[in-house]
Amino acid sequence: MAVTQVKRIAISDSPIPWLLPLVCLLVVFTIYPLIYNVWLSFHEFVPKKRTLKFVGMANWVQLWNDTRFWSALGVTFLYFFIALVFEIILGMAIAMLLDAELPGFGMLRATLSMTLVIPPAIAGMMFLLMEDPQFGVLPYLLNTMGLLDKSTPILATSSLALAGVLVAEIWQWTPFMVLIFMAGLRSLPAEPYEAAMIDGASSFQMFRRLTLPMMSKVIAVAVLLRGIDLFRVFDYVFVMTSGGPGTATYTVSLYAWQQTFSFLKWGYGATLSLVSLVMVMIMANIFIKVFKVRW
Amino acid sequence: MKDSIRKMHLASITDKFVKGQMSRRNFLMAAGKLGLGASALGMGMGRRPFTISQANAQEGLQPSADVIAWLKDVGKPFAGTTLKLATESTPPSNAINSQLKKYFEEATGIKVEIEVLPLEQVLQKLTLDVASSLGTYDLYYIDQSWAASFSQDVFDPREQIEAKADLAMPNYNIDDFLPALVDGICKYENRWVGVPYDIPIFIMIYRKDIYEKLGFKAPATFEELYNNSAAITKEMGPTTYGYAGQMKSGHYALECEWTSMLWGHGGSIFNADKKFVGNDEQGIAALDYYTKLRAIMPPGVDGWTWDGQGQAVAQGVAASMLSWGEFFPFFDDPTQTKVSGLCEVVIPPQPIALRKPADCGYGEIPGVGHQGGSSLAVSKYSKSPDAAWLFMQWATCADTQALITTLGGGTGPTRASVYDDPRVLANARVGAGTTRHLPVVRETIAKYMGSEPDLPEWAQLSSDTIPVSLGKYFAGSYSSSKQALDDIAAQVDAVMKG
Repeated sequence: MAVTQVKRIAISDSPIPWLLPLVCLLVVFTIYPLIYNVWLSFHEFVPKKRTLKFVGMANWVQLWNDTRFWSALGVTFLYFFIALVFEIILGMAIAMLLDAELPGFGMLRATLSMTLVIPPAIAGMMFLLMEDPQFGVLPYLLNTMGLLDKSTPILATSSLALAGVLVAEIWQWTPFMVLIFMAGLRSLPAEPYEAAMIDGASSFQMFRRLTLPMMSKVIAVAVLLRGIDLFRVFDYVFVMTSGGPGTATYTVSLYAWQQTFSFLKWGYGATLSLVSLVMVMIMANIFIKVFKVRW
Repeated sequence: MKDSIRKMHLASITDKFVKGQMSRRNFLMAAGKLGLGASALGMGMGRRPFTISQANAQEGLQPSADVIAWLKDVGKPFAGTTLKLATESTPPSNAINSQLKKYFEEATGIKVEIEVLPLEQVLQKLTLDVASSLGTYDLYYIDQSWAASFSQDVFDPREQIEAKADLAMPNYNIDDFLPALVDGICKYENRWVGVPYDIPIFIMIYRKDIYEKLGFKAPATFEELYNNSAAITKEMGPTTYGYAGQMKSGHYALECEWTSMLWGHGGSIFNADKKFVGNDEQGIAALDYYTKLRAIMPPGVDGWTWDGQGQAVAQGVAASMLSWGEFFPFFDDPTQTKVSGLCEVVIPPQPIALRKPADCGYGEIPGVGHQGGSSLAVSKYSKSPDAAWLFMQWATCADTQALITTLGGGTGPTRASVYDDPRVLANARVGAGTTRHLPVVRETIAKYMGSEPDLPEWAQLSSDTIPVSLGKYFAGSYSSSKQALDDIAAQVDAVMKG
């Protein structure tokens, strides 16, 4: 290539040469794996023959009739909604509290963000120990408050296991919401609040009529980011309950992982992953349209 | 310091450490000053997440001169070769990787790279390797449940001995491997899928001091096990319970314990017609017994794999367990547990009845001593099969196994002669990495061993279908043991039909 041509590209107004490296990375690490996953979902690995066999729609038909999948999907949605509701409410409450400039709150804000640097698997193991019926602090506290018999194994009781996992999730990720909401709160204009105070509005009225509407876009972005993550939950469940007891905490991600890596059903695992991806994309797009989320 | 004095001092502090008269920290400091590497105490415990201190760290524990001489002689042509092995974290692999492979590498010039991975990742890598025939790994660590799947992808060691006489290790003696382990771990349709490498097996471990205090003898039957355990829980609970299980829902550990109970009550997983029969009369009786036993266990047991179970005994929370013998050397380590010298081992409880292997399917062998284990084999796709064969012979020969057993925390050898090795017998005393449980391990292997069925679907059945449903049952999702087992039977049928 002539030197002049290189120079011409280097000073080109066209976005193509600048975007090309990124596009290549996207193709290699996103587009190709996605296409391969779709192709894989119409095949199944045969361990004995060491080959992939074309099975047509069999994996998709199996998915439709798979009660374990539907159960896992139900658990995933339940986990998704409960965690999201708690993280939004707690996140907003804590953000508003910390928004006040009181002594020591700066340190509190810094401390809060520390949970985010802990790997989720480690946080899961921490809560696994904290919820142990033998020596865990949570059963002890709940027992002291008269809410739970101390010897009840939270993570091995069908009705409590999901709540036990959610505690870890909410503990770790509420600060993420707090940070986003605090950034939003600090960007709100002061004038509407001054006018409302002159008109005699209560704190609750100001929150409902001013803060929430003005914060809606920020909340929507936070919900979108967390929602996508929540739908793919794996670490906490894997570490704390392995999906048990029975299938009480089995999520779609855990099921896909198990089918792919434990049972070597690569085709079915790919199908499960694709369904999960499609669901997240549909929900995210509906959410973006309804709440007019702008990036 | 003279070498002889240094060695005597080293032996002396090792003895103190083994007897619990010296802390691990002080031992390490003193040993370090005497030129003993800290890695000498860093042995992991196979499938367990805690570590074991080995009993013997004397410099006397080195490969035999004959073995080294043979390696030097036969290994010359392969100098510069690199061998790869993917393995689960087991005592033999850990001992070889951290302490012993250097002797092999120095003698032969062959470099050995050992990847220690979770079991499912080992399976994944092996499957990809055989599917692509790439030969990324020269040696395969093959869990007993995969023997059927990989039987055509590895060399039969008997054939290698015959075909490559010039590479055969003198006195390797392939007949020295315990016949029961050959059958249970590495034999598939008359082929040897490698040689037995690792043997975790269920034995009865109990707190002798508590049993004596309450006037009990070691449990010899399932009835005694329950009665003793219930009495201990009643007398000493909630501080100490009579028995700890491995009952985590959806985990292979739960299937292992259930299988042991099932076999002990005269049941089996499959019948001769290859149909699931865990829901027959004996199966229901076994699950009812398990349920009864569960009621006197610590409350957290539903969340424990063998790890939680072992820790419960180690920390004095439980007085007995029917579980992997590998735990015992850990229990005897005064720096790691509260029960050093307080535990004893006996053979598993006698079965109420025992179904004959001929009445079972897929090679299932009923026996209360539930057996795990793996084999080591040379891959047919290896680019250096001869060098790999040398390593495999060295890694599984009697001399190396004796070193693994003494350095690796009293893990069960797979060769008969290693049980009688003076170095192994010398460690049969209370202390870290004891081998005093090995006679019971040996007897259990010979007479009371139970082996799971061999079929391609077993990975799914044993790690998902059965333990998930059992977990649901113990969590109260079924109205009766019969309903739970009938549901498992239906699910097994569905899996078998594909």
